[in-house]
Amino acid sequence: MEEMLREYLPILVFLAVAIGLGAILILAAAVLAVRNPDPEKVSAYECGFNAFDDARMKFDVRFYLVSILFIIFDLEIAFLFPWAVSFKDVSMVGFWSMMVFLGVLTIGFAYEWKKGALEWQ
Amino acid sequence: METIILFAPLVGALICGFGWKFIGETAAQWVATGLLFLAALLSWIVFFTFDGVTEHITVLRFIESGTLATEWAIRLDRLTAIMLIVITTVSSLVHLYSFGYMDHDPQWKEGEVYKPRFFAYLSFFTFAMLALVTSNNLVQMFFGWEGVGVASYLLIGFYYRKPSANAAAIKAFVVNRVGDFGFSLGIFALFFLTDTIDFDVIFGEASTLAETQVSFLWTEWNAANLVAFLLFIGAMGKSAQLLLHTWLPDAMEGPTPVSALIHAATMVTAGVFLVCRMSPIMEFAPEATAFITVLGATTAFFAATVGLVQTDIKRVIAYSTCSQLGYMFVAAGVGMYSAAMFHLLTHAFFKALLFLGAGSVIHAMHHEQDMTNYGGLRKKIPYTFWAMMIGTLAITGVGIPLTHIGFAGFLSKDAIIESAWGGGSAYGFWLLVVAACFTSFYSWRLIFLTFYGTPRGDKHTHDHAHESPMVMLIPLGVLSLGAIFSGMLWYSNFFGHADQIGKFYGIPMAAEAAAHGDDHAVTDEAGHGEEATEEAQGEETALADAATEDHGEAGEHHAQLGGEPGDGALYFGPDNHVLDNAHAAPIWVKVSPFIAMLLGLAVAYLFYIVNPELPRRLAENQRPLYLFLKNKWYFDEIYDAVFVRPVMGLGKVFWKRGDGSIIDGFLNGVALNIVPFFTRLAGRAQTGYIFTYAFWMVLGIAALVTWMSIGGGN
Amino acid sequence: MIQADLNTILPEIILAVFAMLGLVAAVYTSKDKLAPALVWVTGILMVLLAIWIGAAGGVDKIAFNGMFIDDGFSRFAKIAILLSAACVLVMSQEYMKRRGLLRFEYPLLVALSVVGMMVMVSAGDLMSLYMGLELQSLALYVVASLRRDSAKSTEAGLKYFVLGALSSGLLLYGASLTYGYAGTTLFSGIIQTAIHGEVSVGLLFGLIFLISGLAFKVSAVPFHMWTPDVYEGAPTPVTAFFATAPKVAALGLFARLLHDAFGAAVSDWQQVIALLSVASMFLGSVAAIGQRDIKRLMAYSSITHMGFALMGLAAGTVFGVQAMLIYVAIYITMNVGTFAFILSMERDGQPVTDINALNLYSKREPGRALAMLVLLFSLAGVPPMLGFFGKFYVLRAAYEGGLAWLAVAGVVASVIGAFYYLRIVYYMYFGEEGSELETNRSPVLWVFLMASAVIMLLGVVNMFGVEGAAAAAAATLVN
Repeated sequence: MEEMLREYLPILVFLAVAIGLGAILILAAAVLAVRNPDPEKVSAYECGFNAFDDARMKFDVRFYLVSILFIIFDLEIAFLFPWAVSFKDVSMVGFWSMMVFLGVLTIGFAYEWKKGALEWQ
Repeated sequence: METIILFAPLVGALICGFGWKFIGETAAQWVATGLLFLAALLSWIVFFTFDGVTEHITVLRFIESGTLATEWAIRLDRLTAIMLIVITTVSSLVHLYSFGYMDHDPQWKEGEVYKPRFFAYLSFFTFAMLALVTSNNLVQMFFGWEGVGVASYLLIGFYYRKPSANAAAIKAFVVNRVGDFGFSLGIFALFFLTDTIDFDVIFGEASTLAETQVSFLWTEWNAANLVAFLLFIGAMGKSAQLLLHTWLPDAMEGPTPVSALIHAATMVTAGVFLVCRMSPIMEFAPEATAFITVLGATTAFFAATVGLVQTDIKRVIAYSTCSQLGYMFVAAGVGMYSAAMFHLLTHAFFKALLFLGAGSVIHAMHHEQDMTNYGGLRKKIPYTFWAMMIGTLAITGVGIPLTHIGFAGFLSKDAIIESAWGGGSAYGFWLLVVAACFTSFYSWRLIFLTFYGTPRGDKHTHDHAHESPMVMLIPLGVLSLGAIFSGMLWYSNFFGHADQIGKFYGIPMAAEAAAHGDDHAVTDEAGHGEEATEEAQGEETALADAATEDHGEAGEHHAQLGGEPGDGALYFGPDNHVLDNAHAAPIWVKVSPFIAMLLGLAVAYLFYIVNPELPRRLAENQRPLYLFLKNKWYFDEIYDAVFVRPVMGLGKVFWKRGDGSIIDGFLNGVALNIVPFFTRLAGRAQTGYIFTYAFWMVLGIAALVTWMSIGGGN
Repeated sequence: MIQADLNTILPEIILAVFAMLGLVAAVYTSKDKLAPALVWVTGILMVLLAIWIGAAGGVDKIAFNGMFIDDGFSRFAKIAILLSAACVLVMSQEYMKRRGLLRFEYPLLVALSVVGMMVMVSAGDLMSLYMGLELQSLALYVVASLRRDSAKSTEAGLKYFVLGALSSGLLLYGASLTYGYAGTTLFSGIIQTAIHGEVSVGLLFGLIFLISGLAFKVSAVPFHMWTPDVYEGAPTPVTAFFATAPKVAALGLFARLLHDAFGAAVSDWQQVIALLSVASMFLGSVAAIGQRDIKRLMAYSSITHMGFALMGLAAGTVFGVQAMLIYVAIYITMNVGTFAFILSMERDGQPVTDINALNLYSKREPGRALAMLVLLFSLAGVPPMLGFFGKFYVLRAAYEGGLAWLAVAGVVASVIGAFYYLRIVYYMYFGEEGSELETNRSPVLWVFLMASAVIMLLGVVNMFGVEGAAAAAAATLVN
């Protein structure tokens, strides 16, 4: 138990330093900064011209679709790394397992392609 | 054959009650009646061919639970045989009679079907009654006992549109419950003591019971006495003995055939039957039988006095029934069970006859029941008149004194009065003699008021009085024969020489039993042929018997009835010398009931024929006494004040406060306030926001972890 | 070796391959026009698989080093899942078609979720457990929001998804705790740890979190909150599906986890399950009273029924598992009939779910009203119907398992619960004259309604052998 805790000690120190630094930076701004607000200073600034819309607007749902699709494929491709690294040690079962997995993934990909999920319009 | 007798009425009841829609109203009634006549025919065959040896006929397995194992079996012995003929004969005749009596009943609207229901009830009653008398154990008997109670309830309340009929039905049922409570306690006590409810085993244990002490309520009791007493409480309820008699007069709300069948001839005698059936126990319970004697005599007297002043024709006969039942109990109480059965038999005939005759009068008078509105009906309904006359002669006990020639009641009633004397109960003897006098008076009063004198009441009704149809007159005729001859025919069997009684009931003689042991069956077999011809030579036997009896005084040569308890249909203990004593009674004892009868007749003649003003004047002079009798000794009022009102009050408290406020209030509170409160709460928790739901899940986890930490484990 | 393993999961493979082929085939050909045929084919395939599993059974097999268990218990549950899913699919076809919801994905998603369920009830390892559970759940999230243009349906799907994700998180956390303290994810390994040493607190915490995750799937209080909203918002056939097959799967998984992995700690989880059970029974009964929408009402009804089923599980005995299986089998049969009825409720071609619409229904449709009466009585547990016997079994199991208080609570709850079922009967037979309800005269719905009602009546005789099968199944699960 003692042994294990000692191993984690640096992490604890690191955590304390991180929290302390963050707190100091925030507090420093509050303590040191000169505050002299006027309307122009606190209004929204957008690339040199006045904002013409509320910042909290609805996004097109297709953004989500694309991002979700990206995450799915990204994550599942990530499976390939450990598989590839230990490829020498896994048997044929391991190989075919990954092939089946990729096959399933391909079917999903074919489906979404045909469904038109990848087209913006 | 016995099975057919038992179940034919049930089949009839089912077919008639449920099947009339398919086979038609009239056909249904005929089926029920036909099956009853079949049962009656078979019963007579059984009665005459029966040899006195007890038979057991197993029908089915009944109850098996722990040590309580019993079968549904028919116990056929002489007692059963007697009851079989009484029940089936009267019942079949009443069925037939009802065709006429129940036709066009004014209680029902045109087109309403009520007759199949009536016949089904009658048949069902008959089945229950047969189940009672054929039972081989106490539970089976209790089944029949309750069955007749239900049938009685249904039939008293047959006119369910009449509030008084409903009230009477409920009263009969409730009062009987009191008795049944005693009866069931008796059964429990017997089962507790002997671990069985089977008659044979119980009888065998009877002598042991007499030596057992049992603790009940606040004190120690002799087991036999306690059991006998508890059973008698049941008998009191069913047989309308004093204290539990109040339902019987009210039961007259039922149709008259019902009164004849149930409340005169059969059901009310179940109590007498029970006492006789349990004779092996009764013999070992001297205190209980003494109580039976006193109560029976008191009832006989009480009911007779009340009967003196009643004006409703059916109520007069009802009190007469109550009184006659008292006679039977006196006989059973002093130990002369065969005399009780004798009176039971003859009474069934003449009382059914009187009721059916009364029914015929009522039918003729368009359902007028008040005797003060009758008078002079002799010419209008001659057959009914003669039937009623025979019935009256029988109940009052007309016969030739010191011989055995007379109407049925003469022989059986005298037998009881002599038994009372022989049993050493002076109280019983004198009350019965006085009651005999009163019996004679009210019976003749009934005849005189109804059939003699000038017509009173509604003139229109009297003009249209008419003789009843044949279906009603035939039963009257048959019963008349019974009322005349049944006493003379079977006198020797019930109250003759001990040998004859022994043979009739299958009881071994004391000497014989010692010598031959168990093979008395052989002897009985030999006597069998004689038995069959008994009827033919009945009268001669009776005469011969009278001759023998004269020598009776001399004789301890009379064989003593013996045997073990349960050997025959009845059991007479070795110390039971009532029969001998009764036969040896002095002359004045033997003629006393006859003189009492003449006295009653004379007074009745004086009051209602010679000087019809006399009774009214007497009633005015002796107003308190008259009112006392007229109001039936105020029993109903006392009960009303002591039991009914307090219980009603208590019931009301329970109903309004207990049920209404507490139970209903609780349930309504739960159903209308608490549950909806939680429903609203649950609805409010269901906010529709995901964060609420997630919050609940987290709370749930916390609760489960806590619950597991505290309550789980180990 | 691998051959035998694959053979063992052949039914699952067949269904999964079918779903994927169907997906590709449909998307590359006629799209939704193929949907009706796909519904029927999927339904028939499921029935065939059920028959196959039923007929082929007998030998218990363990595949993939104990991760997948094919025993009597899993076969019983699989047959129940496949048959109920097939029934609901076939029932839903016409309804979905008329509402324009019959996309070809629908039957395939149902098929995939059924694959997930089949894996769930066969799981012998925390990983296969989670895999089956997620496959099932993800498919269900999608079908819940099948009606994309309806705010309620999408809301239902989203709520279900978010809360489902939370419950999956709880479950995973429990699984990791269990793994941490037992050192294995295999059920057979976990139970060995528990038998050999003291059941450690960490393991019990893991168990609590696992139970919580599963309780969400069977919608046991207090993890039930999604149920009414999802039931109401999802298209009715989907609701019918939610109310049947997934419940069997989740309960099966529940029983397997508790007995196979934690069978040595019965006294520990018994109280927890009992608490879930009693809370579900009471909340379901009480909250249903306030509902006017028959789908929401059925949601609370399912919460109550799950409470009863958990009661059998709480007994912790073989008989308890048997009682639970019988209860669930009866429950899904009743629900198929009830939802067949709800699916046929409509006015002007639009579905109606307000129970006021049932006023005096018996006057217009005496036959259907009578069948519904039988089903409602059965749901309420009125004696001559089969529903009573289900309740009777679990009550008996609880009593014999030493949880008499739970049995008493169950009786009280069923009395309260009877109210809202009988109220529907009251509306149908004695209600006031109100707006007319039309009835969809689909013969398929009629057949399911009547068959379910008849089973409720005739099943009293011998329960069609379910009792014996459940006993055998329970025996294989509990050692």
